[in-house]
Amino acid sequence: MVYYISGILLILIGMYAVLTKKNIIKIVIGLSIIGSGLNLLLIAIGYVKDATAPIFSNDTLKAADMVDPVPQALVLTAIVIGFGVTAVALALVIRLYDHHKTLNINKIRQLKW
Amino acid sequence: MSLSPVHFIAVPLLAAFLIPIIGRFSKELVKIIPGIVLLYLSYVAISLFPVALDKPIIEVLSGWQPPFGISLVYGPLAAFLTALITLMGFVIWIYSYKFIIRKPIEKYYMLFMLLITGSTGIILTGDIFNMFVFLEITAIAAYSLTAFLRDKDGAEAAFKYLLIGSFASAFFLLAVMLLYANTGTLNIAEIASKIDTVSMSTRVLILILFLVGLGIEAELFPLNGWAPDAYSQAPSPIGAAFGGIVVKAAIYALMRLVFLLFNFSEVFHFLLIMGIITMIIAEMSAMKQHQIKRMLAFSSIGQMGLVVIAFGVGTSDSVQAGLFQMFNHAVIKALLFFAAGYLVFHSGSKNISALDGLGREKPITSFFFALGALAIIGLPPFAGFWSKLYVLVSVADSGLITAVVLVLIASVIEAVYYLRVVSRLYFNIEIKTESEVRKTPASGIFAMGVLALVIVAVGIYPDYLWNILKPAAEELVNKAEYIRIALLK
Repeated sequence: MVYYISGILLILIGMYAVLTKKNIIKIVIGLSIIGSGLNLLLIAIGYVKDATAPIFSNDTLKAADMVDPVPQALVLTAIVIGFGVTAVALALVIRLYDHHKTLNINKIRQLKW
Repeated sequence: MSLSPVHFIAVPLLAAFLIPIIGRFSKELVKIIPGIVLLYLSYVAISLFPVALDKPIIEVLSGWQPPFGISLVYGPLAAFLTALITLMGFVIWIYSYKFIIRKPIEKYYMLFMLLITGSTGIILTGDIFNMFVFLEITAIAAYSLTAFLRDKDGAEAAFKYLLIGSFASAFFLLAVMLLYANTGTLNIAEIASKIDTVSMSTRVLILILFLVGLGIEAELFPLNGWAPDAYSQAPSPIGAAFGGIVVKAAIYALMRLVFLLFNFSEVFHFLLIMGIITMIIAEMSAMKQHQIKRMLAFSSIGQMGLVVIAFGVGTSDSVQAGLFQMFNHAVIKALLFFAAGYLVFHSGSKNISALDGLGREKPITSFFFALGALAIIGLPPFAGFWSKLYVLVSVADSGLITAVVLVLIASVIEAVYYLRVVSRLYFNIEIKTESEVRKTPASGIFAMGVLALVIVAVGIYPDYLWNILKPAAEELVNKAEYIRIALLK
């Protein structure tokens, strides 16, 4: 239960950062916190109490003693995707800073609806 | 070597990895390889099309039978959309061949190949987490391509797009997670067969998460704030690719999930209303724009609104009309973006007011723009007329007269702002003194010519395409059949 709550809390903290912070680096950090929260939540779904890692390390282990391996595989993929998105975001931040000489999002807004 | 739907994903992905390496040796080869890849994929798409119409192909990857492994579902609908995407990709490549002359050319083609991989992947996959992965591949390629021109506004548009897009993917992942927690599987068909055991409140929550997650990529109001910026700052062929490829894949994903998992009538009413709002707001915003590519972007959102209206009616006929409209939107909007790209290039300004009198100086490009404008408004000899007519007929058949009236009003607004541009091209001839003569390259004219030909041909013989779309629409509407096929029962 504590994993669920902390996962949701992380998502909310990340959303707070993305929606209220003015510094674009902080916004990117917020996005990556959302990602971490989601990953934690995903792992928590597959968790079985007192179970072990889903590896047949000795003969006495049965499938019922293990946690669900599917969410773990998903999280590995999600982590890699999150890494890629963060890298692209930071590259864009660098370019924005080069053009505007500021990281304040209010001063960057030139395009509008 | 036997043809298989896997090629749609594997070949462009391989090309995307090889292009930077090849770029070290030969810049010319980098430009040619994507063309060869897309030509090959178009060939595969066309030769597999009759097979899929006959009997859907289920490609089981690495020997894991569905629902456990990832499988590709290549039915009539997927066949139609992959054919559309690969052929559009090929035309966009022809246009890019001379248009993209800026330096990191291998990056452009690499990202373009990734865009194709992701979009076809979304359409083919039968696994919902796999769909998320392809959605992210598409999105990352799209963010980077938006910023390709390295200018101030490009970076800003791309960052805005990335911000919204990341939110979208977070929502999508959350929805996938809830589905897995409630049904214990990731195979879309298996989920669809078990969805009735999930409580109604959870289903609605999942639906909202999907609507937000996919609605952003599919340009639904009010989640489409990124679109005008991204369309206008990205290079013109990429504007065409967003409208013709990315949005199509996203709307497919949304509709597939809605029809399979959430097919209760309230959802369709909601989609219908959202479609109408999207269309009206977008057309009114397009009216106010001073920049031609922003205007096209808003018009693109409006067209997607029309597609969503057609899907929102939810009958087999209306879905068929919606697919027809998707096809027309892809072809016509690509033509408009291509022509606008060279008009902007010739006039040296993105503003509509700078286009005065270009109709005389650039007769061919202007002609194509005018043809596209007339087609998208829906004048009779062109393709746009039939799809709009079929959508309106299917909406009227369901007794939604208010919706018909609103769509017609939106069409009038659309006609006003397109004809405004066309009249500037042809009738405002006063200025223009020297202006260095820059010719539109042959590849650009060829690409536009092909699209114009398709528009006219479909306009004159709509029945042929209309009949192809029938099995595709039936596949989307028929939930039980999809579950049976995709699970290999």
